[in-house]
Amino acid sequence: MQQQGSSSSSGSGMEVTWEDQQNINTFSRLNNRFHDLDDEIKSAKEKCDNLEDAGNELILADEEMIRFQIGEVFAHVPRDEVETRIEEMKEATCKSLEKLEEEKESIVSQMAELKKVLYAKFKDSINLEED
Amino acid sequence: MSSSSPSGDLTERRGIPAAKFIQDVETYLSQSGLDPNSALSFHQERLQQYKVVEMKLLAQQRELQAKIPDIEKCLEVVATLQARKGTGEALLADFEVSEGIYSRARIEDTDSVCLWLGANVMLEYSCEEATTLLKNNLENAKASLEVLVADLQFLRDQVTVTQVTIARVYNWDVHQRRVKQATPTAIAAADS
Repeated sequence: MQQQGSSSSSGSGMEVTWEDQQNINTFSRLNNRFHDLDDEIKSAKEKCDNLEDAGNELILADEEMIRFQIGEVFAHVPRDEVETRIEEMKEATCKSLEKLEEEKESIVSQMAELKKVLYAKFKDSINLEED
Repeated sequence: MSSSSPSGDLTERRGIPAAKFIQDVETYLSQSGLDPNSALSFHQERLQQYKVVEMKLLAQQRELQAKIPDIEKCLEVVATLQARKGTGEALLADFEVSEGIYSRARIEDTDSVCLWLGANVMLEYSCEEATTLLKNNLENAKASLEVLVADLQFLRDQVTVTQVTIARVYNWDVHQRRVKQATPTAIAAADS
């Protein structure tokens, strides 16, 4: 997000009020949070997929003791316990993924609102697009 | 986020000076006695300083973000050991000896674990004490991360204010020059 110097006559009277500055600051914060969220969503999706694959592998495997990663080691855990643990992890991850997606949606709409307000006041003097 | 007057905000936060919002460029320049170029270079220097601090804070943030999952993993292991305590079964675990090489460990029922505290120090704790210690560390790390994120947001706000100020001073200067250029022409036209 940049504020460009305008070469047209708007360089003359374009006053920036404290409210405008706060809007710009808020937009900047939202934009940053939006990018962070994108990364978080990506890694949450990956984790969800991995857990899904693990669950499938579990069904195919016929061993009684599964080596399940706890911390840095692989503990020998009976199959049922592994199944339960994977289910729990999947649920937790999917729920947090949902929350992240919701937050992202809300941020996108807040940013759209701010864009409207700021473009209305500053027109060409301000650039709120991704570079 | 809706303080209605600039003076209601902080003048600095944890060593980071706040960027003062300028209501009117002309008033600011005459009050500070700066010409536009000096004002521009002052603000650009400030911007550089902010960037340096931002790099530092981002590095700290990455550190904390790596530390938190580590602590959570430790908590998980201790919890697993505690859960096994009553059963009398030993826990078989495969652990990494070196890259790609694993070995099997047989962990009997135990009341205590050893925690690596850093700086080549490892201490033995009972399972309960270990859980308490790890939980404390986790809480502290999460709290520090929150403070850090708030610092970064404050910093980014100051960066934005400074960038806007630079643009406004620059625009004002350009406008002033254009006005000065236009005036002699108008006088010449009136004379002829």
